[in-house]
Amino acid sequence: MSDFDGEFGRPRSHIWDREQVLAPLLIAPAILYIVVLVGIPFCMAVYYSLSDATTGSQTLHFVGLRNFQAVLKDAVFRKALLNTFIFTLVSQALVLVLAKILALALIKDFRGKWLARFLILLPWTAPIALGTIGWMWMLDSIFSPIDWLLRYMGLLGAPGALLGANSNLYWLGVPSLAMLSVILVHTWRMLPLATVILLAGLTSIPQEILDAAEVDGAGFWRRLFQIMIPMLLPIMTVAVLFGIVFTFTDIAVVYILTQGGPVHSTQVLASWAFFKGIEAGDLAQGAAVALFLFPAMAGVAALMLRLARRSEVA
Amino acid sequence: MAKKTKKAITRRDFIKTAGAGVLAAGMGPTIFIPRQARAAGKELKILQWAHFVPRYDQEWFDNFAKQWGKENGVEVTVDHVNIGQVVPRASAELAAGKGHDLIETFAPPAQLEPSLLDLTDVNQEAERRFGKQLALCKRSSYNPNTKKYYGFCHGWVIDPGDYRKSLWEKVGKPQGPETWEDLITYGGKIKEKLGVQLGIGLSQELDSNMASRALLWSYDTGVQDASENVIIGNERTIEAVQFMSKLYKAAMTPEVFAWAPASNNRALIAGKASYILNSVSAYRSGQKKVPEIAKDVFFVPPLKGPRGTRWTCEHVIYNYIVPTYSRNADTAKKFMLALVANYDQAMYYSELYNSPAFFDVSVPKGNRGYAKVRGAKNLRDLNDAWFDKDPFALPGEATDKLKPLKDAMEWSTNVGHPGPASPAVGEVFGTFVVPNMMANAARGMKPETAVGQAETLTKAIFDKWRQKGLVGGKM
Repeated sequence: MSDFDGEFGRPRSHIWDREQVLAPLLIAPAILYIVVLVGIPFCMAVYYSLSDATTGSQTLHFVGLRNFQAVLKDAVFRKALLNTFIFTLVSQALVLVLAKILALALIKDFRGKWLARFLILLPWTAPIALGTIGWMWMLDSIFSPIDWLLRYMGLLGAPGALLGANSNLYWLGVPSLAMLSVILVHTWRMLPLATVILLAGLTSIPQEILDAAEVDGAGFWRRLFQIMIPMLLPIMTVAVLFGIVFTFTDIAVVYILTQGGPVHSTQVLASWAFFKGIEAGDLAQGAAVALFLFPAMAGVAALMLRLARRSEVA
Repeated sequence: MAKKTKKAITRRDFIKTAGAGVLAAGMGPTIFIPRQARAAGKELKILQWAHFVPRYDQEWFDNFAKQWGKENGVEVTVDHVNIGQVVPRASAELAAGKGHDLIETFAPPAQLEPSLLDLTDVNQEAERRFGKQLALCKRSSYNPNTKKYYGFCHGWVIDPGDYRKSLWEKVGKPQGPETWEDLITYGGKIKEKLGVQLGIGLSQELDSNMASRALLWSYDTGVQDASENVIIGNERTIEAVQFMSKLYKAAMTPEVFAWAPASNNRALIAGKASYILNSVSAYRSGQKKVPEIAKDVFFVPPLKGPRGTRWTCEHVIYNYIVPTYSRNADTAKKFMLALVANYDQAMYYSELYNSPAFFDVSVPKGNRGYAKVRGAKNLRDLNDAWFDKDPFALPGEATDKLKPLKDAMEWSTNVGHPGPASPAVGEVFGTFVVPNMMANAARGMKPETAVGQAETLTKAIFDKWRQKGLVGGKM
């Protein structure tokens, strides 16, 4: 049987050719993906958080909000909640400033520009666990090469040295330094993506506007704050929002570097949910801890969608 | 029929092809299911952690499992994962209702009990065949409240004190510390005069958990009593915490707050620790990597507390669990019994890292892969002979270094001592309540406050699991 219909040779109308059939069909895999990998786990997390689920029990009983009440009473949870915000906000502020500087540098023409871009992108392409293990060695209490360098420069390990007479700084053993380490490693990890996003934004600013401003006598800072940053604002917001989502839900850096220590001083919601829910077996409370991420993430997602819509309209 | 003309791929063709591909991919697993079903009972999938002593897996266990499978007509698969992956992987498999038939855990898996088969029969059979199981092993695999064996414990690991003899000699204590107080007296001197610190972890990791429990027990206190009542909030705990705070100031550095499980091994091998609490694996690594340091490493049994009590926590407890979903439970049970019957090789190929749960197992006849030990009839004889004369000592190295560990079964105990392991004990362990209590005090918190915080956390955890009927004691 031919695909052609009758004497005119006109293709026969087929169900696949109807837009109202084809469009939903094409979008179905994406929806299926979201439902299976995001929707169902989310619903399960809500279900678990309202139950007495454990990693060993398949029989669940509804317990209402008991897990949330228990979690709120837990001092470690409150610490983890605060740490999550500190970790996210400080690292994103650093990412934003450093990415802007890097993007401004990389937009200039210079020798080895492509190599520089490649090296800057490297942390993003390497597996997060691998990079973080590398940093664990860099920040080791005994063998840290950073400490070695500081000792070599006379800044550490000698009486009267600027950073103290101890032979090491104990990056991951002192709460403030441990938090700083976690934030810096995460900043290192997130910087490439933000830089690439801002670089794309910078290249889209018409050169004639910058030239005109320069002719009118605007200096670098004036061009930066009154032309570049306002024009980059939508794309910068996208970079920040992506960064917030990634940071808020990240477990790898904290888990590998500090396991949330010392004494929970770097514990974040994602890692505490893992320790409570999986390691300790209390799936219900683990789910309740993890769900505290939801309101913040929902707000960020709403903002992202609104921003995307606004730029679409523009 | 009209001849088909050659044309570009249409949207319709694309959808048809893609649809067929997706359908085939989706159907794939179901197509193979009948074949898997036919193999039921004739296969055994084992999941266990990659042993700290690599030759245990590489030279012995994997071959032993395959050989056992061949002799019994069973297809055996052994998957090794990193120690940190065991619990998450087991939890995921139990939730999915699919996975391995036998899973080896390194800590009591009491929280998984409802999804595990009752192994009372294999435990009873093992005692019938091999004699009495060590009490610490039973307390790590049996829940007295539900009267269920949720695991089968085949072995455990000793956690002695490892010290650098040359350093302790210089401060007048060549035989190493005997009491916790010695750590302050002599360990403090070593740090002050020789610049080498002590290495007892105060971090959120395994070894710190064990060390802090050993201190509590030596101070005649603990997390729970024998009836599973929470007892951590008492004067003796405060006394122990005060001691740890003093010890930290006298002999340690902030590195101990950042330690991971391998940190004390590294510190010892690097010559940066005068005393650590660890299994013989730290020393074995040293023998291979830094022999001159390893030759200087000696061992002491647990340190005595102020009233002469001494205990140490098992370093690892080997528990096999069989998920309820397993269709090969009987095969799994046969394998566990075979493993116990061959535990002489487990001890030898782990370089004396593994100790047996059943010391009365007879030594099998024939070539066992190690030099025959004259007069050794059972594992206790082998244990005594090997600890008297270490078969893995380096040339020129003292062979009797492990002698103080010969009677380790007398002074080693389980995580929930003096009570059994339980999900509550496991959660207190897994959320680092005890080492953090010690660390808080070492960092300047009042010991009473640190103990009070730990008691609040511990009681909440115990109450929660009691409501599920898995833990005894009073609310």
